[in-house]
Amino acid sequence: MSDDLPPGAAAVLKSAAFKAGAVVCGIADAAAFDAPAGQRPADLLPGARSVVVVGGAQPRVGDWAATSRAVLETMGTTERIQSVGRRLAQLIESEYGYYALFVPPGTVSGDRPFLSLMRAAELAGVGTRSLAGPVLNREHGFLYWSAVITTAPFETDQPEVESACPAEPCREMWARQGTTPCLEVCPASRGGCLEGRLENGRAVRTFYDAPRCHTRVHTHWIGGFQKVLEETLNEPDKDKRKMLLYGDFFTRTLWAVTYSSTNIAQCFECMRVCPAAHPRKELR
Amino acid sequence: MMGIFRLDPEVYRRHKDEVLQLANSFQRIDRRGLSDAEIAEKLGLSERVVTEIRCVAERDCYSLDEWEKAIEFKDRACREWAALALKRPDLKRDADG
Repeated sequence: MSDDLPPGAAAVLKSAAFKAGAVVCGIADAAAFDAPAGQRPADLLPGARSVVVVGGAQPRVGDWAATSRAVLETMGTTERIQSVGRRLAQLIESEYGYYALFVPPGTVSGDRPFLSLMRAAELAGVGTRSLAGPVLNREHGFLYWSAVITTAPFETDQPEVESACPAEPCREMWARQGTTPCLEVCPASRGGCLEGRLENGRAVRTFYDAPRCHTRVHTHWIGGFQKVLEETLNEPDKDKRKMLLYGDFFTRTLWAVTYSSTNIAQCFECMRVCPAAHPRKELR
Repeated sequence: MMGIFRLDPEVYRRHKDEVLQLANSFQRIDRRGLSDAEIAEKLGLSERVVTEIRCVAERDCYSLDEWEKAIEFKDRACREWAALALKRPDLKRDADG
């Protein structure tokens, strides 16, 4: 892509990513982001040429089988893959002499991310969007993502042509029952978040209730904190205020939010039932 | 008095639904969510005001009850899955009971 970078620079970068713990690594063309102005790589780093995406740090088989929701609520953190992203940013600047901006894991305003990591993963060819929403890698399923925007003109990868979703068992279920595991577990029509269908073997999501999904994915997080705080401020009775503030919900929320700078996912039900999201290994 | 930027509650009430719809918070297949700047242009508001309306509205969509429902949903779904994956029907009965 450019004479400025040594031959094989992208391969060296990917090798460093794998060594640091990533299970997949791809590079997207920064100009390919079809997001509104303000949400593109060059809006964060002027002169951005490519976006390096790493995925990994997925839950273990035991986590998926846990009988307590609180396990996955606690284990689902992005911090391990973030450290890989940070390391790559450092490598790009020190080895190649280009600007490298680690995309922060937080939000730029409200619930809106600095950059869509899901779109970045799609464009970098390391995953495809699922009916439920999350991007799935064809080999590894559900992963956490981190990205680095850089002015380095790395050789870029192409988006995948074939999607990991729907998996064969989902196609069979659709033919049999007119639904899929993710739609069945979280249907918008019955108080959940999702609506969709399979059309010519392709998954088509027709509706997604993001605010409701937020109450599930971030139950004990910023939103839950704000809600209880509001309820407490509106509560005139001193003893009732105490029940709200010292109770399990608020306490658990404080445990979660004090994990600063880490995005803790707290609902996995659409992914737990997804045959493409994780291995159904029979362990002892 | 200076303080932080505070949205006028009346402006919020007037534009909340429209902003949520344009931001595609309740996502429909045939619609791309607009950025705050795009919404601002459409509604004749400043981008800062739209950002504030969106941030407050994202929290304001559901009452605290929905957070409790989220816990109940996850408890039930998690136990049903464990019963299936671990071949332990008794775990599902715990959830039902």
